Amino acid sequence: MNDKRRDFLKLCSLAGLGIAAPRTSRAETKETPPYAGPFYVVFNASGGWDTTYLMDPKGVDGINRLYQEGDILTQGAHKFAPTDKKKDGGMSNEEFYKDFGSELLVFNGLDYSVNNHSPGARYMATGKLDSLACPTFAALVAACKGPACPLSFLTFGNYSNTGNLVAMSRVPYLPSLKKVALADHLEGNERSPYHEDFVLDRIEQTLAEAHDATLQQPRLPRLERAENMLYAAQVNSKALQRVVPFIPKSIPKERMAQQAEIALASFAAGVCVSANLTIGQFDSHANNDRDQMKLIPEFLQGITYFIRRAEELKLRDKLVVIVQSEMGRTPTYNGGNGKDHWSIGSVMFLGPGIKGNRVIGATDAKQFARTVNPQTLALDDKGIRVRPEHVHESLRQFAGIDQHALAKKFPLGVKAPEMLKGFWG
Amino acid sequence: MNTALPALAIALVLLGSTSQGADTAYTGAACQAPMDTAFVEDVWGKVASQECLKCHKAGGDAEDSDFVLRDPSKVLGEARDEAMRHNRAAFIKMARASEGDQSRLLLKAQGKLKHKGKAVLKPDSAGYRILADFVKRVTAPTKPVEVAEDKNAPPFFDGIVMLDDRRLLRRATLSLAGRLPTDDELKLIQHDGLKAMPAMLDAVLKEDAFYDRLREGFNDIFLTLGIDGNADATVLAYEHFEKSRLWYQKEKFDEIADPKEKQQAKYRIAREYREALLGEPMKLIEHIVRNDRPFTELVTADYIMMTPYTSRGYGMFDQIKDRFKDVKDPFEYIPVRLTALKGRSRQTDQESASGFYPHAGILSTFQWLTRYPTTETNRNRLRARMYYQHFLGVDVLELAARVTDAAAVTAKCKVPTMEASECVVCHKTLDPVASLFQDYWVFADKGVYGRRKGGWFEDMFQAGFEGDDMPAAERWRSLQWLGERTAKDPRFAVAMVEHAYYILTGRKVLLPPKDLDDPIYNAKRRAYAEQRKQTEAIATRFAKNGFNFKAVLKDWVMSDFYRADAVASVAANPARRTELDDLGLAHMLSPEQLDRKIEAVFGEGWRKLHNGDGGLAMLYGGIDSKEVTERATDPSGAMGAIMRTMANDVACKNAARDFERPNDERLLFRNMEPDVVPGSMETDAKIKHTIAHLHERVLGRIDSEDSAEVARTFRLFTGILDEAKQKRREEQENYSCRPDPDHVRVADPHYTIRAWRAVLTYLLRRQEFLYE
Repeated sequence: MNDKRRDFLKLCSLAGLGIAAPRTSRAETKETPPYAGPFYVVFNASGGWDTTYLMDPKGVDGINRLYQEGDILTQGAHKFAPTDKKKDGGMSNEEFYKDFGSELLVFNGLDYSVNNHSPGARYMATGKLDSLACPTFAALVAACKGPACPLSFLTFGNYSNTGNLVAMSRVPYLPSLKKVALADHLEGNERSPYHEDFVLDRIEQTLAEAHDATLQQPRLPRLERAENMLYAAQVNSKALQRVVPFIPKSIPKERMAQQAEIALASFAAGVCVSANLTIGQFDSHANNDRDQMKLIPEFLQGITYFIRRAEELKLRDKLVVIVQSEMGRTPTYNGGNGKDHWSIGSVMFLGPGIKGNRVIGATDAKQFARTVNPQTLALDDKGIRVRPEHVHESLRQFAGIDQHALAKKFPLGVKAPEMLKGFWG
Repeated sequence: MNTALPALAIALVLLGSTSQGADTAYTGAACQAPMDTAFVEDVWGKVASQECLKCHKAGGDAEDSDFVLRDPSKVLGEARDEAMRHNRAAFIKMARASEGDQSRLLLKAQGKLKHKGKAVLKPDSAGYRILADFVKRVTAPTKPVEVAEDKNAPPFFDGIVMLDDRRLLRRATLSLAGRLPTDDELKLIQHDGLKAMPAMLDAVLKEDAFYDRLREGFNDIFLTLGIDGNADATVLAYEHFEKSRLWYQKEKFDEIADPKEKQQAKYRIAREYREALLGEPMKLIEHIVRNDRPFTELVTADYIMMTPYTSRGYGMFDQIKDRFKDVKDPFEYIPVRLTALKGRSRQTDQESASGFYPHAGILSTFQWLTRYPTTETNRNRLRARMYYQHFLGVDVLELAARVTDAAAVTAKCKVPTMEASECVVCHKTLDPVASLFQDYWVFADKGVYGRRKGGWFEDMFQAGFEGDDMPAAERWRSLQWLGERTAKDPRFAVAMVEHAYYILTGRKVLLPPKDLDDPIYNAKRRAYAEQRKQTEAIATRFAKNGFNFKAVLKDWVMSDFYRADAVASVAANPARRTELDDLGLAHMLSPEQLDRKIEAVFGEGWRKLHNGDGGLAMLYGGIDSKEVTERATDPSGAMGAIMRTMANDVACKNAARDFERPNDERLLFRNMEPDVVPGSMETDAKIKHTIAHLHERVLGRIDSEDSAEVARTFRLFTGILDEAKQKRREEQENYSCRPDPDHVRVADPHYTIRAWRAVLTYLLRRQEFLYE
């Protein structure tokens, strides 16, 4: 291959030719078989969680008013803050670590590099601070693994940029799922089709012919992309009827549980690859301990609900869980008993292929990030500051999409010596 | 939104000039002294405006250094050229100064020589190479300057096919007024072509439906409908409107005897009052545009809009009631100056030299201030951020600078936002504006106006705007002071033109590409530059012609960017394909727009794409203006399902119904009857004629009756009839597809009504219908 040809192909790739807007013919957009996993779920504590009340306990220098260093608890390799007697509802750390500690991988001392919500949320979701185009990990993995799934990337909030790789689905309420599942039937009633089957078949066939004819004509890239996405959305939407058996009869009251049921029904039906679940109000400037002791337990309870329901639906062994926030909270209290933004934090993982009972990285006694040797993952003064791009590079490798053309379209810029070796155990 | 407005603007103004010797700073007028385009395009456009200008400007963190640049985006015309000449001279001086054998410019960029901004460019980065090339050029003055532009590039719109005039007219009337073009308009555009458009648009922009769309579009930007809670309690504070805000609770409705009906009337009056309150900011925009007032009133209007209901809430009804045409109309808005706020005690009275509330357009409305509240620690910075985004088109958090160790910076400084250069770079701009809101210091649910006990914070930059301090005497009218400056800022006009683009296309203007190492950087930059050139040209006319917002919409509609529809041939060159990547409207209709289009085509909307009870708006990518604030731009599978339901349902409601109408009142099947079946030349021609009509009415396509498109639809129609005949189907249309609930089931012995319904379903699922 000569250089010119190589350059041309490289440019094609970078320009998204044949990637972001593939020409989808009829044959390619027939209803796809159910996506069988793995399923990726990102739990987001929106507003900035206080990691010293969860996986990175301190109890010194007035960092925490609710416990002292000696009160810190352990579960295997994990250290965590005691919350059982302080929490306001929800699930305590004690219960959470008892249930999941052996499966849990924690990274402490993550350097968010900024301490504003908007860039922090973007950075944590994508691994790229200085790009508004980069897709979130959840969107990217959906685009790589199941772009034809009708609800491939489901989001309930948080930064959800798709990089134009896959459509974002918002399904705010469980009943909404039912509404769209049987689109060719009056009021979703299976016994009342709008058209007889042979008529519907002919409509679909004519739409397919029109779609193919459209693609034969030279079109502006944007119009071509729109035509492809529209056609795929309509064809793939038929698969939504598979969701119906998985919609629970009663709707849970808790906000995370509602999101969980929608995501799990979509996973179980094989129509979804990834989901962003989120709860907000962690931005505890005004009264840190009160707010965090209400929200962290609620958050953990939501995660646990999700995992338990996944077990019931026999999805647990295909579920990759990422637990994150866009920033941490300062080691000191402000004048209003609150804590302000802190650019150091933590992230947790759990799922098949992730070796649990491990803690990588650390913060020092003043809650500053310790550097890590990327080859050994040990704390090392000559190591690197681990940032979201390092974690995301590892995530892409873990999901097996780091060499995918779509991932390469949005490189994270982590150099080989800085890649975290053996991160997943 | 654009954080780096200046660079390319200048580049565009000056592109095409020849460069002069690199060793000489320009001194003459712009027309006599062509600009160094390499400096403008590369050094300024790609590096300096992004990295250096943040601090090295008046009011910036490095304003006391010897290297102070000017921001060309804040001035127009010759002053803009002069700013660029100043900047170039400063760069040349710095490039030529050396430390050892290296240029100080390059050393500073690497963070050496005690550069307070630390390292901003790595030596192996493209940005550094640009500076190094510049240093090389200006230290070897005899070497000819390389011109950055690609002289061989074809015109940007080369090979682009524009929308034909009739379809452009349809796009414009649907988009702006939610209706199809009239027969007269179609005749005119056919006869006079594009030159007839401006006058027709003038008429369209006077229709009531346009103002509905205008308000909806601007709410997508300002989101003021997204205020939490009941507006009578959140917008109107207890402190200032205690006695008036709940006026509706005293309404007796004695004329209504039935208790249930009476209760419904009470609910209705409360609902309409709250709706009217929430609607005030967008009605202000409508008032400005409807009356052709300068759009700068968005930030300078010395009034708000009130209705008979809301004026009661403000306690002003008795003073202004004679100005209303109908005091019972909850939604008749008129401009009113609110009197200065009176507190429950004198201490909380609003200070006002004029005796009135110091209105500053949207900026000072209770709704905008409530929608973007402050907190004790936020200190109005959210408002400052939204101010920049809404009124100057600058997203200060768009690309936050990476800090080597943000936690250490936070910890080492007592007041990082005033001391740490990493923080100061933004806060020196943001905090003075935040401080201008200092007297709007009441927290959530308690209102907005009120001074902070103990005085305003001293550990933040004090009230001002872009380097100008606010005089103490102006404090009572601080937002008016800000509004006046905003209206004069060239970025305001550009931001409004960008808003218009967003309203028309459903997407934001392109951002300048950042990654200089990207192999297709130049193509991305050209796409951005061309669009930016158009934006600036419209903004310049906007400012010159008295800030008439309708002119901006017209300019965009007439622009190549709005009319671009196809390419003459597939762009084989990937760089060219990248240049064209964002071109073409291809805008998926929002739930509201889709419903309006259904109504325009079929005479009645679907009515299922609304927010709230049973509505599908959120599932169809809509917004609630609160938590979901960005509309979906691409269809998900769930939306694909809704499209199918919509197509099935709308076709079901309209096929038989249209046949029931007298022939000359039909919208779809004029001169067609259910007993016309294919098989003869005459009936085939008649059916094809009807199909061509449906293509035009539903899709906006102008297809001849012998076209492949019509043939395809014809095959669908005839194929269904053939198969139905073979299968001996029942001779009645679906029970649910009756023209109205009282109608008996419609006879359909030939299956033609059902076949036409299938044709409609097919057309309603096409891109031409679902997108604009």
